[in-house]
Amino acid sequence: MSFEPREIPPEEAQENVVETIENNDVALFMKGTEMMPQCGYSRKALGLIGQYRDDVATVNVLTATEAYREKLAEYSGRETIPQTFVDGEFVGGSDILEQLDDDGELAATLNA
Amino acid sequence: MDETEVAALIESEIPDATATVTTPRDPDDDSHYAVEVVSPAFAGKSLVDQHQLVHDALGEHLTRDIHAIELTTSTPE
Repeated sequence: MSFEPREIPPEEAQENVVETIENNDVALFMKGTEMMPQCGYSRKALGLIGQYRDDVATVNVLTATEAYREKLAEYSGRETIPQTFVDGEFVGGSDILEQLDDDGELAATLNA
Repeated sequence: MDETEVAALIESEIPDATATVTTPRDPDDDSHYAVEVVSPAFAGKSLVDQHQLVHDALGEHLTRDIHAIELTTSTPE
């Protein structure tokens, strides 16, 4: 059984990054889908956000991993996945979400 | 890249940094690291900017030789 996702063209991935960041309150670029995360860090990020928001827009970067990494770096300065954006601003990966949650600041950061 | 190399790279790139690198999963799993970095360079910086300093130090290694780091940053007591 294979979970390899359908590949999409790099241009489509680049457009997805721009549109998802600009048109959603909370966006999460992750490995895998909301139903089936493919990486523990993506799963952790999804769970942390899900405590406070049920309207996160998720994008599976595995459909064009390199194109997503490059385009996301233009917004965040980094190529690691997951990446969380709130109101178009880069918030962080799973470690930063966890630390914000430990500090009691995640709900406010997510405008929950 | 092993833990020692990751720590050395971070310490060479960030002023007065002390890096502690461990493998949180399997000891032989050399692509997932837990990284704790202490440096005065983090003072007054946001969490994102602190993490960015470490990401910049690792450069291309991150996402290429290294799958992921679990990162904790702090300033000296």
